[in-house]
Amino acid sequence: MMDTIQGQITGEPYVWRNPLAVWDSKGGNHEVLTVRVPNPNSIWRENTAYKAKTYKVGRLKHYVIWPANGERLWQRWRWWPTRRNLLHIKGQYNRKTLKAEKEIIDRRPIYWAICLLALVLAPMFFPVGLENTLLTAGVIFGVFAAINVCWTLIVGTASIFSLATYAVVGVAAFITSYMSIKLGLPWWCLPPIGAAIGLAFGAIIALPALRLDGFYYALLTLGLNELCRVYFTTSKEFGAASGGLYGADSFISNAWSPYAQSLVSYYSAFGLLVAALFLFRFTSGKRIGRILKMAPEKREAFAQATGVDYRRARVTIFLLTSVALGLIGGFYTALYRGVAFSIFGFDTVLLGLAMLTIGGIGKAEGAVAGTLIVVVLDKVLIELGPIRHIIIGGIMMTVVLFLNNGLYGMKRQFWAWRDKKRGEWRSTRTEKGGEALPEEATETDNKDLLYFRRFDKNQRDYLRGFICNEIIEEHKAKPLGQHSEALERVLLYFRRAPMDDKYAIHRLGPNGLYRIIAVAGRRGISPRVVEDKEYGTIEEAYHGVFMRRVHDLLES
Amino acid sequence: MDITFILTNALVVACIYGLVAVAISITWSSLGLINLAYGFVFSFAGYGAWLVSGLTGGNPLMVAAAGILVGALGGIIICLVVFIPLHDKPNFTIRGMTGTLAISLVGSQVLLWQFGPRAKPLPELFGFWKVSLGDIVLTSDKIGIVACSILMLAVVLVWMKSSRRGLEIRAMMMNPHAASIVGIGIRSTGLYVMAITGAMAGLASILLSQTYYIAPFSGLTPLIKGVSIALCGGLGSVQGAVIAAVILGFVEALTSRFLGGQYVLITQFLVIITILIIRPRGISGLLDKAREQ
Repeated sequence: MMDTIQGQITGEPYVWRNPLAVWDSKGGNHEVLTVRVPNPNSIWRENTAYKAKTYKVGRLKHYVIWPANGERLWQRWRWWPTRRNLLHIKGQYNRKTLKAEKEIIDRRPIYWAICLLALVLAPMFFPVGLENTLLTAGVIFGVFAAINVCWTLIVGTASIFSLATYAVVGVAAFITSYMSIKLGLPWWCLPPIGAAIGLAFGAIIALPALRLDGFYYALLTLGLNELCRVYFTTSKEFGAASGGLYGADSFISNAWSPYAQSLVSYYSAFGLLVAALFLFRFTSGKRIGRILKMAPEKREAFAQATGVDYRRARVTIFLLTSVALGLIGGFYTALYRGVAFSIFGFDTVLLGLAMLTIGGIGKAEGAVAGTLIVVVLDKVLIELGPIRHIIIGGIMMTVVLFLNNGLYGMKRQFWAWRDKKRGEWRSTRTEKGGEALPEEATETDNKDLLYFRRFDKNQRDYLRGFICNEIIEEHKAKPLGQHSEALERVLLYFRRAPMDDKYAIHRLGPNGLYRIIAVAGRRGISPRVVEDKEYGTIEEAYHGVFMRRVHDLLES
Repeated sequence: MDITFILTNALVVACIYGLVAVAISITWSSLGLINLAYGFVFSFAGYGAWLVSGLTGGNPLMVAAAGILVGALGGIIICLVVFIPLHDKPNFTIRGMTGTLAISLVGSQVLLWQFGPRAKPLPELFGFWKVSLGDIVLTSDKIGIVACSILMLAVVLVWMKSSRRGLEIRAMMMNPHAASIVGIGIRSTGLYVMAITGAMAGLASILLSQTYYIAPFSGLTPLIKGVSIALCGGLGSVQGAVIAAVILGFVEALTSRFLGGQYVLITQFLVIITILIIRPRGISGLLDKAREQ
């Protein structure tokens, strides 16, 4: 037993002289071998130290904050004649310097403005050899981004998983081309007619959307898309042989130089994109969008219970978007003088879905960014050949596998991941030996208890450090009287223990032997016998109790 | 055109598309995955069979076995790439569907790259003979296709009813969460399901190639038809898919008899939309509760 009792941080042994020895104190050792006691703060420092690896960089709020003073703190730029703010700005006082300052809370309008400005200025910076390719790709980007913004409005905001978006555009484009060719309609008639066709077609395909939900509707619209493709490619009126229907009137004159034609197409497609973004902003960002955010897929019952007519809102958005898609179809005809069958192709739907998925469904910026990536890969890097579709598929696959909601969901996903990791690291740092766990601590009303348990834990860690054979020998020699500092600290701790289950010595009769018992600590409950061993003298019994307590201390 | 000829044709086509529909149905109901990559599996199995027929000189049994095995391999690839990494992630249904579409995009392009755009024929598997029942003449390939697809369907159904794995799959169909709690491995069951449904699509591909050629994008029409039939019959229901296949086959036959071939898809979709408006879960679809993942 003696060999096993050995503390962790035992100081070096030295000879302790009892200062009371000169007065020949009763009991007490005169000269004894003991150990030096470490500083009691050391164990506290060690137990409360922050052991996680820390870095110099703190967590910065990267908000743009600029100083403002006086009434200018409350000055805002507003959309003229409304009171609506241009930027969501908060006026505040710096917590340290108490200076007035302004903080931009939502910076997305700034980013949008920068990106749209870049698109406007882009044609000036196109490299000389690539101008034609890039302008053509830019036109395709503008038109497809507009379609995809509408699509994300249907899929994300209205939660109607329709895959027939390109079918609506295609039907409107085909019918307007046909009308323009046969009836000689001028180009400015085509978008409104397209819008009317879009409304009619949208109304027809909205009918099943009221009854079906989610993926049933997606699969049905996939079939509708195929139906349109087969119908238009096989019908006689729409030019079965030529791969498309061409010859409609256009706002781009053939008399202009090719560069001017491309430039006009580019800026008109850009205008279309801006119009689609306005549509997104003024539906998804307004009352109807809020209604629909309350009623996402599978939570409709709750929205309905609170009085939200989500079906009506969904159908409204669906029809509005169908009108917009029809308009885009008419515009497409007027831009390209016609339309090809490939707009109904499964590949078009696939690439469109790739654009949406890469960017992230439900966000206009996601739709535009995804379109940009896919169009650059598909139309600019043409010399790569069929590999570029494989690359697009690969990007789509990677995004689907690793990102919850596309590129624009990355930030939120990263935050969630970081919080999870933080929690994990925190839980590995928490020491549990005797201290209250955080969950326990919040449940305890008496917070003194928590501090006591922390103190007690550190005290036990500290004392455990210098339990060694020397002080045990010292106690065995003289259980009572003045002891060395190490033994005295241990004994003080033992004596201060609460009454429940405290050891006591029981003498068996006036001249009998001694036995160790433990008091119950409660009135009316008799003490229990701890062990059968009987001690001849009271000193031996004292030492027996001491050894039991040492044992308990080392066990805890 | 002769009505009996059209009817037998419709029956043959319904058998083939029915196989794909049942495959889609089983995958959806047991794994919750809408697999839109069956078009790719279809072409993949066809090309596999074509390679084997080149190697073996067109032994019908070998070709059919190759088609089925390569189809199963395609299913396993989809399971490994899409289902296993994604099945416990948020937005699984939409991400799974997009993932299978990505596979279909990449896969068809790889096939196009490897084998070129020219369509490949497969050898005749069932020989050249015919049976006359009164004035109905049934050619060997029609009888073979119907027999093979019914046989395959029967084998799959019996396997699902009687084997341990089939029991696991049926448990997953009823309640995937509870199934995983009682010790049915979602991933291993997913592999079995995808392999067996891939094999069905592979066989459908071999059977269809008796009529059409194999091309990188030839799987699209069977996929769309299969999806429509599965949708109409109710996702997750085998007997519903069979009923829907028969109904749509007859609609196709009647339309091409009385209205003309170009209206086939229109009438079919009108029928599908009507059925779905009356019964949003299809003819005998599972209720929403049964598959809530």
